[in-house]
Amino acid sequence: MALSTHTTSTGFLLPSIHSAPPFFTQQPNPATEAIVIEQWTKLILSYARHRNLFYLRVEDAETGGDWDEVLRNDRINRRLPPTHLSSILAGMVAKNVATYEPAKQTRSVLLYWRLPEEWAEVLHQWASTTGQMNTIMTFYEITDPPVNSPLTNIPLPLLRKAITILAKSNRAQIIAIADGEGVRFFTPAK
Amino acid sequence: MSLKRFSQAIDGTIPIQALLYDDEDLLGSQDNVGIYDGQQKSPRHQSGTAYITSHRLFYVDGPKPDSCSFSIDLSHVSRTDYYAGLFTSSPKVTVYLAGDVSSESNDEHAPSIWECQVCGNRNSPGFSPSAARICGLCGVPRDASDDPEQGSSATHLSSSLPASGFAGSSVPRSSKDPVPCPACTFLNHPSLRTCELCETDLPRRPSRRELQSAPVSRPHSPDNDEEGDMLIKVSFRKGGDKAIYGALKTSLNGKVWESKAAIVDRGGGNRSVGISGILRTVENSVQERETSMHDALQDLEALMVKAKDMVHLAAELNDKLTAASSTNDEPEEATFIRSSLTQLGLHIDNAPVTQDMTKDERRWHEELARELAKVLQAGLMRDKGIVALDEVWGGWNRARGVALIPPATFLQVIPLLPQYTTPQVSTRKFASGLTVLHTPPYSASAFSARLAGFLVMQGSRTTLEIALEMELDMEESNEAGMSVSLCKEMVEDCEREGGVCRDDVGQCSIVGGGGVGAEVRWWPNLFVGYVWDGEEDG
Repeated sequence: MALSTHTTSTGFLLPSIHSAPPFFTQQPNPATEAIVIEQWTKLILSYARHRNLFYLRVEDAETGGDWDEVLRNDRINRRLPPTHLSSILAGMVAKNVATYEPAKQTRSVLLYWRLPEEWAEVLHQWASTTGQMNTIMTFYEITDPPVNSPLTNIPLPLLRKAITILAKSNRAQIIAIADGEGVRFFTPAK
Repeated sequence: MSLKRFSQAIDGTIPIQALLYDDEDLLGSQDNVGIYDGQQKSPRHQSGTAYITSHRLFYVDGPKPDSCSFSIDLSHVSRTDYYAGLFTSSPKVTVYLAGDVSSESNDEHAPSIWECQVCGNRNSPGFSPSAARICGLCGVPRDASDDPEQGSSATHLSSSLPASGFAGSSVPRSSKDPVPCPACTFLNHPSLRTCELCETDLPRRPSRRELQSAPVSRPHSPDNDEEGDMLIKVSFRKGGDKAIYGALKTSLNGKVWESKAAIVDRGGGNRSVGISGILRTVENSVQERETSMHDALQDLEALMVKAKDMVHLAAELNDKLTAASSTNDEPEEATFIRSSLTQLGLHIDNAPVTQDMTKDERRWHEELARELAKVLQAGLMRDKGIVALDEVWGGWNRARGVALIPPATFLQVIPLLPQYTTPQVSTRKFASGLTVLHTPPYSASAFSARLAGFLVMQGSRTTLEIALEMELDMEESNEAGMSVSLCKEMVEDCEREGGVCRDDVGQCSIVGGGGVGAEVRWWPNLFVGYVWDGEEDG
């Protein structure tokens, strides 16, 4: 039988494997399951990038939400069971493309469809292009700027990680201000 | 009257079996008897049933069982007589009684469980009076051990005589002092004959206990007008006298009540007393068991020999039938006989191979393998290419009929099968432990290739559907004939290899679905070699 790709309503192209019912079942054969997890990881990260989603929880497999287009396939009457999703999340964390956030639990992850290092670069880039160098910015200004940027709605833990990375290379500095935290970007010393 | 003196009243409403002692056996019974006390009819005992046991003679009255029934100890019988009966007088058995009845009072011995002082064994009260006097385990006579009526004050070391318990005993023991051994000065129990430590003979006590109650020296002054003999007659109104007389004679000859007493009195080795007694009893019971088993097994061997004869007979019969009916159609009877023989398993083309037929064990295994190959090809594997091991074993043994093959031998024979079978039958063991015999089309690789092809052509299938629909050979359409559980094992094995992948409909359905594993569909493995064709990273 031929499997076909499918474009969702939001314009995301689902791979053909998504139309195969076995894709949703956890495979007992370890080799097969490894492939399945790999494909799911790719799919999830791709979708997160497409929709700018950062968090994925095990509950998303059960209830409706942002992830419905991926975690379910109504055309073939299949969905990803929460147990399978849980093991996929574990696989992603093991590969360092996600992390359990908040820490010490296994039901919710923060997705790194862009690695923190990459985020750091994007952050620094944005700061310089919008002419915000050397000024103290609040986190709120970064996550919710008047003009949409790639950093809109970035979760604060991720933002903090990115800033920490920048701080290591002396391109940012965290400043404690009243009513929140602030950050100041520098141009790297030449 | 002698009846009154020698008999004990019993409650005849209790069934006779309940009245017997533990070691007493019922030898015979006869109804419609009457009792003569001396030479006259006893008025109260004219219509009842007489029972002879190994120890006693019972009379249970018909009209009034509770008040007119009695028992007489056979130990009081000195001799018996038989009168065959003339026209109107019925046959009679005369029983001459003697003995000192008053010396017997069973009451203090019978009623309760008593604990033997020597070995601590609790003896139940069900034994006959003579048996109740010695301990069942160590054989030590009872009065040498503690009497419950004495209470705690008397131990076997005290010299006080038993107060009231043994009023009936003819000659009580003179003392209960321990006996010092002349050689090693160990204080032995008074009832022992040899010292417990060094086995030297102990000096005999002056007064030995007489346990034989019949005959006894003291005669009773006759208070009846017999000729010095006391007698009872049993009159058989409806026959049965010969049988009862025979039983009575047997019982008297057996003299079971004396044997126990004799054992204790024997002068020589202590047969049933002490540790050696216990050991001997155990040894005897073990030997008894061995002999009875040996006898039983001998019967079995005899049966086996007979069975062989029957098989020969059946083969001859079959040959004769074939010879007789080779020219024309077989008459109905011949067919019937032949089919019944086959059904009974008596007619087999070749007799089963047994170990005594071939000397060498290896050759024997090979012969067995050859035979099994024939059996498989004839019936067990003719239609199916794969069969479970327990089915094969059961079917093979059924075909053999005699000299069945134990599982261990069976397992040894199986590896030899591929040499004698065409197509080759080999063994395969699944992960769940199920072992099967199969022909090449059902080997792991062949099956998974076929399965993958089948699924690709037909689409996804459940296990049941695979079992039903999948064919043996893609070109010829042979019926597969595989059981569902066997099919499941094979498909799961295939999954383990990576040939197929599963779709858990029960768990993953959005609409419907029954839960994990409720329905599983199988797909060819789509994941191997899959190339991502979704959204490309921008």
